[in-house]
Amino acid sequence: MTPAVLTASALGLARNESGRRFPHAEDAAALEALRTEVVETLTGDRWDRPWRVYELERMSSVEVEYLVERGLMTPAFAAASGAGRGFAVYGEGEASLEINGDDHLRLLGFRSGGQLSSLWSLLSRLDDRLEMVFSYAFDPRWGYLTARPRHAGTGMRAYATLHLPALTLTGRLAGTALEIAGNGLALVPLWGGAGGMVQVSNLGGQGRSENEILQQISDLSRGIVEKERSVRKMLARENPVQTRDQIGRALGVGQHAWTMSFHEAVNLVSAAQVGIELGLAKVPGMEAQSAFGLMSRLQPAHIVVEYMDGKMGCMESPEIDERRAQVVREIFAAAGVPA
Amino acid sequence: MFAEESPDWDLDVSGSVICEMCGAEPATVHVLRVVNQTVSHTHLCPACAQSMAEQTDGLALVLALPSMLRRLGKNKSGESPTLPPESDVRFCAVCGTTLSDLKESGLVGCAKCYQAFGDYLEEALGSGEPVEHPGKIPRRGPETDNLRHEIMRLERMLRELVACERFEEAAGVRDRLAELGQRLEGGSE
Repeated sequence: MTPAVLTASALGLARNESGRRFPHAEDAAALEALRTEVVETLTGDRWDRPWRVYELERMSSVEVEYLVERGLMTPAFAAASGAGRGFAVYGEGEASLEINGDDHLRLLGFRSGGQLSSLWSLLSRLDDRLEMVFSYAFDPRWGYLTARPRHAGTGMRAYATLHLPALTLTGRLAGTALEIAGNGLALVPLWGGAGGMVQVSNLGGQGRSENEILQQISDLSRGIVEKERSVRKMLARENPVQTRDQIGRALGVGQHAWTMSFHEAVNLVSAAQVGIELGLAKVPGMEAQSAFGLMSRLQPAHIVVEYMDGKMGCMESPEIDERRAQVVREIFAAAGVPA
Repeated sequence: MFAEESPDWDLDVSGSVICEMCGAEPATVHVLRVVNQTVSHTHLCPACAQSMAEQTDGLALVLALPSMLRRLGKNKSGESPTLPPESDVRFCAVCGTTLSDLKESGLVGCAKCYQAFGDYLEEALGSGEPVEHPGKIPRRGPETDNLRHEIMRLERMLRELVACERFEEAAGVRDRLAELGQRLEGGSE
């Protein structure tokens, strides 16, 4: 079985209402009024699935972080403050909406695997519904108008998450990054680059249609992932001892560590996944889930919410690292290296 | 999930326009270097970025993205950058955003800023000749509400322009108001 080219896909769609100034320049009363209007619209009956509206002011930092870790909220929105901010999740998390962040509205979607086009069709449909109520700031030359001019046009940013440990380890990612930059896209680290996780995204929304942008990101990502696969095979062929050693050590640490940072955990799962794909490792605990799904579950707020009943105010506490190590030990319990 | 973004990705006006390594060529690449989970940022020309990439060992992760505003350093004809002079005191009559606000924050304040700073934005975004936006377009919301919003705002703007004796611009706003008034009376269809 060939794993998906894209590890995960995400999309953001920024819109502004034409009668109001953008959030950073608008007064608090107008922003509050907009939020009320948006919330009323979301709780109306014109939707296929219900929206769940969150009260940001009443949420703990763990709850907010959990939304960020699930790809429902952007880190920038979580870190910002200001009047009239609101947030809502569509259905079971198929999409979400940031209200009065950089822009009045930003629809978001996140899924594992290569799902850029299906995300676009969902977000575009939700966008159409919102547009029945809000008249968008739009200009025939500039497209959809946004607070950050670089994003004007489609107002869309697409993100492809790629898992590139072999390119990272061999220092070949730098050349790839420059190639990507030459195409007007960005290649940036996800999770501080742990486990070779990176994200490719478009920087601007000008001059091209949504489908052209999505196609370009998919095509370039496919090329990069093919390169990653061939470097993995080359490593196993030309440096068999080191490759086996790296993978075997990761399994050993996973089976016996009693405290583990998220960064270390991602590195271990990444190495194990490469081992499984090259036939150099067996990890029965990872068969039922993707490596990316497992990494996601090991993020701090996930550990607190899913394994500690949400009872931990601080995301940097040693108890989280201990609990994470325990989860990893259980997953790696029956892991082994074929002779 | 979404990776963290560096604030200067937007209009990228904060750093130097010249390559930080060779000090000679215009910097068109923003390079992120990740060593031991710490990210450092440098702005380099393509040649220096290439040599940095080649020298990097497996311990460092080098990532890159194009610097938008740095394109100003080398436009097609090879002429010098055409950034507006420092003395440019343009501002948006609707939200009061000035050109220096925009340069500093990378943010415009409202839809009308796109007209007030149109030529600057075209230059900064390197988007070339004005063409029609190729992607999705709005199907149009409640047109009359939209018109009323616009009329109210233009009336406010007109009062302000008259108060500060900018009659030429006020005349333009008055004409636009008359046109919108007619559209509102004539129905939105």
